[in-house]
Amino acid sequence: MERYTLKRGRSIMIKLSSVYKVFFPGTPNEILALRNINLHIRPGDFITVIGSNGAGKSTLLKVISGGEMADEGRITIAGKDVTDCPEHQRAADLGRIDQNPLTGTAAEMTIEENLALAYLRGKKRGLGLAVIGNRQKYFREVLAETGLGLEERLQTPVGTLSGGQRQALALVMATLALPKLLLLDEHTAALDPQAARQIMETTARLVQAKSLITLMITHNMEQALSFGNRLMMMHRGRIVLDIAQEEKRQLSVPQLIAKFTAASGSALADDRMLLEKEGFSG
Amino acid sequence: MENVLISGLQQGLIYGFMALGVLLTFCLLGFPDLTVEGTFPLGAAITAKAMVEGGDPLLAVLLGAVAGALAGAATGLMHTRLKVNNILAGILTTSAIYTVMLRSMGRPNTSLLGYEDFYTQVLSLCGIAEGKFSFVATQIAVIVILAVMVVAVRLLLGWFLRTDLGLTIRAAGNNEKMLSALGVDVNQTKMLTLVLANFLVGLSGALACQMQGFADVGMGIGVLVAAIASVILGQMLFGRQSLSRLLTGVLLGSILYRALLALGLRLNLPAEDFKLVTALLVLLALTMPKFQLRKTKKRMFAAKTRRGNNHGEVYLEAGAEHHD
Ligand SMILES: Nc1ncnc2c1ncn2[C@@H]1O[C@H](COP(=O)(O)OP(=O)(O)OP(=O)(O)O)[C@@H](O)[C@H]1O
Ligand SMILES: [Mg+2]
Repeated sequence: MERYTLKRGRSIMIKLSSVYKVFFPGTPNEILALRNINLHIRPGDFITVIGSNGAGKSTLLKVISGGEMADEGRITIAGKDVTDCPEHQRAADLGRIDQNPLTGTAAEMTIEENLALAYLRGKKRGLGLAVIGNRQKYFREVLAETGLGLEERLQTPVGTLSGGQRQALALVMATLALPKLLLLDEHTAALDPQAARQIMETTARLVQAKSLITLMITHNMEQALSFGNRLMMMHRGRIVLDIAQEEKRQLSVPQLIAKFTAASGSALADDRMLLEKEGFSG
Repeated sequence: MENVLISGLQQGLIYGFMALGVLLTFCLLGFPDLTVEGTFPLGAAITAKAMVEGGDPLLAVLLGAVAGALAGAATGLMHTRLKVNNILAGILTTSAIYTVMLRSMGRPNTSLLGYEDFYTQVLSLCGIAEGKFSFVATQIAVIVILAVMVVAVRLLLGWFLRTDLGLTIRAAGNNEKMLSALGVDVNQTKMLTLVLANFLVGLSGALACQMQGFADVGMGIGVLVAAIASVILGQMLFGRQSLSRLLTGVLLGSILYRALLALGLRLNLPAEDFKLVTALLVLLALTMPKFQLRKTKKRMFAAKTRRGNNHGEVYLEAGAEHHD
């Protein structure tokens, strides 16, 4: 993987400096979704992000991917300033999946056509046939790694797959052309517990095998603690906690909640986290 | 009766180009492109003008098609750069086209009486001189020429839509957000599709003009509904399970539709009722409940796949496109 080393000797892959995002500026409904975000993501980072509803987690991912434009501040990916680049110009560097299994794939196209689209992420598309022998073989191989049997159904329209299968496909698509950064926005939240577990396992395996730098939003505290090597908490548009590996390893869920309360001055308010305590989701 | 067959086949093949264009925008891209009502007579007007100016018939037809492509580009630019709603962009272009046609022809219609037309030219290129064969044989030869052209375009499209570039058209109709996240400039995809589709519609108009021997600014009225009827007929006959079926079905639908019209004329049915009947039939087909084709037909009118919709299902929301 390409790595950019700064003169100071620490390599920083993705850098956000003083990033702000405001919705409905100048109106009574003004929302400061991101306030002065400064974030360095380094090679090897697998960051899990938690925070209250409306904290700005999704917005943070969107300003990185280009789904939303930052109102102030700079964003660089591998040394390149992408602050003003539209989404499609940043795509070569980023793999992204969000919560909804329907948004990551094209329903009326077949599995292999979806993969062919993802295969050329960020590259020029020409007049060569999209699905050809050696690509098909490669698609089979990568699909087989998810263990869902999708490799036998290359010609199946994606619309006929289950949510879990579609999300697995989205995961394969996001990582097919090696991204510099993988952005996951609660990508298991809409799935049943078993499918969620399966997708999370596949995610961890892929991140490990391809040494992907990853930023993963989750509302699942257990997940936030057990995956990744760095944990961030957001609250009202700010990153209020950034916990490194050593400390993170020793934390328990109650300790984490206590830390959040101390850092933000309010209780962690996430409607879905409550469900978890009552054991509705795994 | 043979005249019905000949006319149905000739018209069906000529309008088949247009039906393929409509399939590209309405069905695959999910872009209700009303430009075609203007592009069709524009292709005719430009080809007529070129003929009158002494242009070669083949060149004249090509110019008609290129004029169509430019009209598509105009709609595309309005929509992608100026963020004009897709339906309105088509209406604006169509309106502007009227002036272009009137200005270029100098009047509302142009007759090509006495000019050697495209078909005669191609026939003589193939060694079939006028007058050497019977009327029917000549007409059949024209059908063969048109069929070869249509089939060539059909095969080219079938190939193109399977290439890396062509795949983006279908993906844009399915899931714009995904396509953008995969590094494709969706605006470019829309431009490409509109140019391509309107090239085909312009070609269709140019060929129709050459066939009937005149161009008229009013000849685009109702052609869009007729093309949609052809697309629907094609899907009823051939299904929509695969791209090949869609493409071939549209052509057969177009031939069937034009044959039915020719038959209607032959049976002395009142021609002034045809457009109303077509509109009613399309409406009926679109609203028939529990009909397996329902999804696709609605899709033709869907401005955009709605976020969070299920399994590619699309809602009737023409004109409801948002830019976010
Ligand atoms: N497109 C938008 N237009 C207006 N306001 C928005 C938009 N997107 C987000 N917001 C607002 O910005 C704030 C941050 O939203 P965001 O989606 O980033 O929160 P989140 O941390 O992802 O929350 P959740 O846990 O509920 O997903 C919220 O107040 C939200 O209402
Ligand atoms: Mg969110």
